[in-house]
Amino acid sequence: MKTNNTEGCGLCNATWGEYWREIDGDNMYFCCNICADIFETMVDKVKESTGWKKIDYVELNGNYSSGRECEARNGEDSFKYYFRTYSNGKFITFEKR
Amino acid sequence: MRCPTCLIHIDGGYHEISEHIFSMQEKTDADHITWINRYVSRNRTTEDEFEKLVKQVFETDDLKTWIIRKFIGKFFSKNPHYFLLKMQRPDRWTLLGYAYEHHHFLKQWVKSCSMIIANTDFEEIHHYEIDNIISEWHGEEGRFPAHHELLLKMGKSYGATLEDIYNTEPLEPTIHAVKTWDYICRNFSFVEGMAAMHSLELIANRKMKDYGASVGYFDPVILKDGSVTKETVDFLREGYEADVSHSEAALDLIEKYAARLNLVQEVQAVFFRSIEEFDNYLNARIERGVMIENEQH
Repeated sequence: MKTNNTEGCGLCNATWGEYWREIDGDNMYFCCNICADIFETMVDKVKESTGWKKIDYVELNGNYSSGRECEARNGEDSFKYYFRTYSNGKFITFEKR
Repeated sequence: MRCPTCLIHIDGGYHEISEHIFSMQEKTDADHITWINRYVSRNRTTEDEFEKLVKQVFETDDLKTWIIRKFIGKFFSKNPHYFLLKMQRPDRWTLLGYAYEHHHFLKQWVKSCSMIIANTDFEEIHHYEIDNIISEWHGEEGRFPAHHELLLKMGKSYGATLEDIYNTEPLEPTIHAVKTWDYICRNFSFVEGMAAMHSLELIANRKMKDYGASVGYFDPVILKDGSVTKETVDFLREGYEADVSHSEAALDLIEKYAARLNLVQEVQAVFFRSIEEFDNYLNARIERGVMIENEQH
């Protein structure tokens, strides 16, 4: 799965740390396990909301403080959403935009 | 020196503290990486460059201004904390969540103030903390109610009962934050305890916009436009008027004693940890409000 964070962590684009996790069959790089947890939960929530079996690409904009405005794509389909989490990765908000 | 994430004491200077933090990120420790990302840089550097950046984060000859600037950066930037956005025009659920979680915050507050007193012989600190305990927790009969009493009245004005507020366990982020503040005030120097607690009063300081904040704690219009209950106005107005003197007088004392006791970096480290806990705690106020609204409470 591709994201717009091409330089570093799949969620926050930071280049510190080194944590790998398989998401939907792809081995993805994250800066830490919390970013990986957040990303994995986010993917599950998008699939639950859309009924998709896979996600090709996710565009993430924002940060931990203001939350993240996102767009997931699956082929020609698109799903826009917003989410915020606690520092430990627990979701506070996940809503369709 | 003290680590701003795990709070351990480290002998030495910036070389040793940055070495510790750098080694923790090499182990992919999430908490230390979070601190680096939020306060140093999101871009990996060499260890030598990292030491310079860490030193830049801490170095100051004006601790009070340093605390205010970091606090604004954390909560009042162009992307303010979500709770502050909710408080500009608060609904009943946000205010109820505020009442339920803040009750537990204030219970710890008075204990923290007491531990600060117990950890020093400086009488001006005793006087400051006693005054704070009276205004936050005890009040003065016939003159003014305690901040805590006003909070409970705000909760009641939206349908909460005292029994339910008292019997509702705080949410996990509130528990974690309260335990951290208790640990700091119980085990560290009084000036570090003061930094952990009293810097947080900046959240309601109405001068924050003068210092560069993008928003205030709430829009003052709500004190007059009838959109919130009279009890909410009483609660918010009391904090709005009181906390300028509280938080800034405390910062003056923190600056004075941190310099005198050679604990400036330790105070800064504790401040960093405290505002991270406070960030999560403010989110817990929102989550509690959502739970009450959805009848999951």
